[in-house]
Amino acid sequence: MAPPAIHTRDLVKEYADVTALRGLSLTVEQGEFFGLLGPNGAGKTTFINVLVGLVRKTAGEATVFGHDVERDYREARDAIGLAPQEFNVDRFFPIREVLEHKAGYHGIPAAEARRRADEALKTVGIYDKRDTRFDWLSGGMKRRFMLARALVSDPDLLILDEPTAGVDVQLRHDLWEIINRMNDAGTTILLTTHYIEEAERLCDRVAIVDEGRKVEVASPGDLMDRGTDTITLGLRNPPATPPEVNLGGVTDVSLTDGRLLVTAARGSALVPDLIRELDERGFEVTDVDIERASLEEVFVDMTRSERAGGRRDESEDGEVGRAAAGTGGDAGTDVEVSR
Amino acid sequence: MSTSGSVLGVGFRTLLRREILRYVRRPRNTFLPPMITNVLYFAVFGIVLGGRIDRIAGFRYIVFILPGLVVLGAISNAFENASFSIFHGRWNEYIHEALTSPLSYTSMVLAYIAASALRGILVGIIIAGVGFVFLTATVAPIGVARPGYLVAFGLVITVLFASFGVVGGLWARDFDYLTVMNQFIIRPLVFFGGVFYSLDVLPEPYRTLSLLNPMVYMVDGVRYGFLGYADIDPNLSLAVLSGLAAAVVALDVALFRRGYGLVD
Repeated sequence: MAPPAIHTRDLVKEYADVTALRGLSLTVEQGEFFGLLGPNGAGKTTFINVLVGLVRKTAGEATVFGHDVERDYREARDAIGLAPQEFNVDRFFPIREVLEHKAGYHGIPAAEARRRADEALKTVGIYDKRDTRFDWLSGGMKRRFMLARALVSDPDLLILDEPTAGVDVQLRHDLWEIINRMNDAGTTILLTTHYIEEAERLCDRVAIVDEGRKVEVASPGDLMDRGTDTITLGLRNPPATPPEVNLGGVTDVSLTDGRLLVTAARGSALVPDLIRELDERGFEVTDVDIERASLEEVFVDMTRSERAGGRRDESEDGEVGRAAAGTGGDAGTDVEVSR
Repeated sequence: MSTSGSVLGVGFRTLLRREILRYVRRPRNTFLPPMITNVLYFAVFGIVLGGRIDRIAGFRYIVFILPGLVVLGAISNAFENASFSIFHGRWNEYIHEALTSPLSYTSMVLAYIAASALRGILVGIIIAGVGFVFLTATVAPIGVARPGYLVAFGLVITVLFASFGVVGGLWARDFDYLTVMNQFIIRPLVFFGGVFYSLDVLPEPYRTLSLLNPMVYMVDGVRYGFLGYADIDPNLSLAVLSGLAAAVVALDVALFRRGYGLVD
């Protein structure tokens, strides 16, 4: 059986005055498009930097395609193409040469490195800027270049840390298209992003992390199912008070401007039963509108409740470690670890 | 897979080439300054003042100081190149391009050292060339008495100081650190290392104290290569310096492996 693209167990990173990772366990299978969501300071970049060797873990295990990131660091790093959030590009050389160097560090001979550099620049659409130094590129071109540099070694695992931060809509869609093509061709993608929509559109699974811990791992659809949808119904003769609704999953019923608002988990599945029940009570439904819970709302709820739980446990136990707020993950996901 | 490549494989050669191109493409920043400085040294110390100084060990003063100036330029540049390149890469974080690649730590260290030592050697050749021009114009051209020793000492001292430069580049927390290392550590050691005088002119205990300065062996060894004259057994100097260079290279590799100054 093929080893997972990324596997970490009880990953801990402590700095002098802060703990960035508190026993983070994650598994990303080969070929997956995996999203890492979390608020600022959640430990996403630290997690990535452990994988590529820019951060030394304090404890735990981390492997990339079965290669330990410290013991077999050369094999692990050879498999990874990284587009970090910060611009850490060699400013001494034109961008084409920077790519040739990066390919060369991966053992790719000069002629092939030149070919790949040109190909990567064409892929991201800045080939005509090949003889320009990085500092002279526009902001959008710099973002494109970061992706080109990650692609030039033809990695099996592409790690993108906020790849679309601060770029316009058109460029964001261009970058999504390129990344999707890579994933379709078999490249495993690990994406961190603040744009929830990005994760919704692109990822097979997402992990929500907060304060160095995993809160949940699931597909975006599964996560959204855990949020509450809002069903708005127009009634021909609205009552003065909201009618009673006896259906599982309904959390609230209210009347606003003569329209009935029902909040419920998996709201879309509930609509036929809801209309039937209202009909039996003598209410004629004239129109229905369903507003699905967004991943963003689920994300905010989860990280908020995680933080609240954390504060409570800390005050009770006098230590930072606590059990997960999440309800467990799906295949390939470990149960949340507390320390 | 590229990781099966040797220590001196494609990855090493790419980093070496990148490091060499960095300074070769900026001769006004890298080769012109030592050339001008040494024109001034030879003009002032060699011609203006040198004419008033007695011969040392039978050599005219300008001839005597030439090997020392070559050493000064070579090791300063070897040190500066390694320390600057590594520190600048850390400061702007583009050293991550190499660090996140499958290069072995030994390959990375050897590439930085080899490129920096080469810059030291090139600067040494430039300074020797300036010196020969001055000598030819004012006194008489001189040959190289012991070319084998000259090459050996040239290699070992530039490798040694390039290796020190790697430590300095990893240790530095600010650009000021680089200036401090060059001005307050290397330059005093060189100036008290017998560049401008023979150890024989020093009274005790200063002569004996000078023997604790590794620069003395380096200047003396290169002088032996140029002039065939040495205060200290050149084979002993070469052996001690080679041992020291090997130890510092090993230290560099250990520091890279530990991630000192490189990783969080």
